[in-house]
Amino acid sequence: MAVVAAAVPAAVAGRRRRRNLLGECALLFLAFVIMLVLVYPTAWIFIASFRTPETMFAVGGWVFTLTNYTHLLSSGFARAIFNSLFLCATSVVLSTIVAVSAAYVFSRLRFRGKRPLFAAVMLGQTFPWIILVTPLFILFARLGLLNDYLGMIFVYVSVSIPFSIYLLVGYLEAVPRSLDEAAILDGCSLFQVLWRIVFPILLPGVVATATYAFLLCWSEYLFALAFLTLTDLKTMPLLLNAYFGENVVEWGNVMAGSALMTLPTLLLFLPLQTRMTSGLAAGSVKQ
Amino acid sequence: MKGQRRFIVTMLTPAFFFLVCFYLYPTVFNVANSLTDLSLFGLRCGGDWIGVANYIDLVTSPDFRRVLWNTVIWLTAIGVTVRLLAGLGLAFLLTSRTIRKYRLETIGRVLLLVPWATPPIVAILIWRWMLDTRVGIINALLTGLGIVDQPIPFLASAAWVWPALITIITWNTLPLVTLTFVASLQSLPSELVEAAEVDGATRLQVMRYIYIPHLKPAIIVMGLMSTFWTFNNFVYVWLTTGAGPGLYTNVMATEVYIKAFIDGRLGYSSAVGVLMAAIMAGFGLIYLRVIAQRELRESF
Repeated sequence: MAVVAAAVPAAVAGRRRRRNLLGECALLFLAFVIMLVLVYPTAWIFIASFRTPETMFAVGGWVFTLTNYTHLLSSGFARAIFNSLFLCATSVVLSTIVAVSAAYVFSRLRFRGKRPLFAAVMLGQTFPWIILVTPLFILFARLGLLNDYLGMIFVYVSVSIPFSIYLLVGYLEAVPRSLDEAAILDGCSLFQVLWRIVFPILLPGVVATATYAFLLCWSEYLFALAFLTLTDLKTMPLLLNAYFGENVVEWGNVMAGSALMTLPTLLLFLPLQTRMTSGLAAGSVKQ
Repeated sequence: MKGQRRFIVTMLTPAFFFLVCFYLYPTVFNVANSLTDLSLFGLRCGGDWIGVANYIDLVTSPDFRRVLWNTVIWLTAIGVTVRLLAGLGLAFLLTSRTIRKYRLETIGRVLLLVPWATPPIVAILIWRWMLDTRVGIINALLTGLGIVDQPIPFLASAAWVWPALITIITWNTLPLVTLTFVASLQSLPSELVEAAEVDGATRLQVMRYIYIPHLKPAIIVMGLMSTFWTFNNFVYVWLTTGAGPGLYTNVMATEVYIKAFIDGRLGYSSAVGVLMAAIMAGFGLIYLRVIAQRELRESF
């Protein structure tokens, strides 16, 4: 390095350094602007949710208030929060149990038809939900499952299962098979091996999978829109959209409701994500 | 061994019960419905068999050509391309020497999660505010800086509505794409690039012969996955514009919904759904060929 630096005349080196510095500044500014565009909209929801609707968009003179939240929570939105939490929690517990069972079989056992069956699960991941809305609506109408928690739980369990199985098979690969074998030699049945030996070790993966499934249900809009028409049964996304009318916008409700919807996903997402992307990337860069 | 077989069946049955009831049966049922004139208002009585009349209607309708164009060109082709290019650009930026030199990679990656963690419904509402003509910040900035005299009705004008929609979708979905590319770039040994530079390779050559081949698998996976997500997505278009102004931004997903639940023509709506399924099945075959085969080989 020293030899190279000595060989370059001082003036040229200075000019080059200055050009580099200018380039660095431009790059940092660009990065700053992009990050601002990415973060600003979400950050602004939280800021605006604590301002009165009158001063929300003013340049100065903001009034700090909690009335947006108290007003929202004393309206029908409280019921919507319960509906969302109840539907998501129940569906996640069910879909996780079902997915762990299936994933264990796919990961550990050999049987005929395994490849096509796993391929079918994988296809479910990319299956367009919109195609299912019309036929399911007809079926639900005939079975009396419209405006019913049971129908929605069935939907949410079903949409979570393919991705859950896929993720869990990945996590199961990291659990040493020698554990299973040792337990079987000790006289455990396969059922015991799964729930007593493997499941506790798999727990971090199960939690990650369940979190993902929860977020999927939490922000789901389409099926809720088609299958829930009674106000008492509606979930948070449905009510939130109704506050943002074509002509009348209830800004206080929009901002406070959006903040309440985004908060759990932000809190759950940050710890979950690092693993998710590294997994996805690992899957895609394998040769 | 007999016990093992029973175990396999017991453990797989619940999962496949849901998969069959939710995915398989409704898909088949949908094909049957698409051949009838079933109406939302006469659900109990059922529909009459009308053969392929719905499909003939669909193919000959000039409105549907517009829908197909919107879905394939605007939403999917342009939308996915913009997302991939923006994701690549941002990934290169986040892994650039300058960002690394000032140790900004971690903060950049954490901030990048924010749009991803924002539920689509919230993302759409907040962008609808930002693009608003009266109180939106974008119009306030544009008029404040003197770039335009009149606020632009982004979501109500034919010239702006598609760019606006694609901006919203890109904002919400960019992080996943970017982080995947970042992870891929980080797995590239830096000696490779340095060696090429020592040998006198230009930036273009480094890009062409080192970065692009290395990123290719990630680009293919993300391109295919994005195509699926975008082609079938109902929420973005429906909640942002309601397929409007008029039916200007109507896409296949919103067409299925409008025909079924607003016009009440369940049979016709089913036919649109079947056509979507057919198009996606084509993509699905490519997907299975490219990705799933490799996964299956890896896993078992």
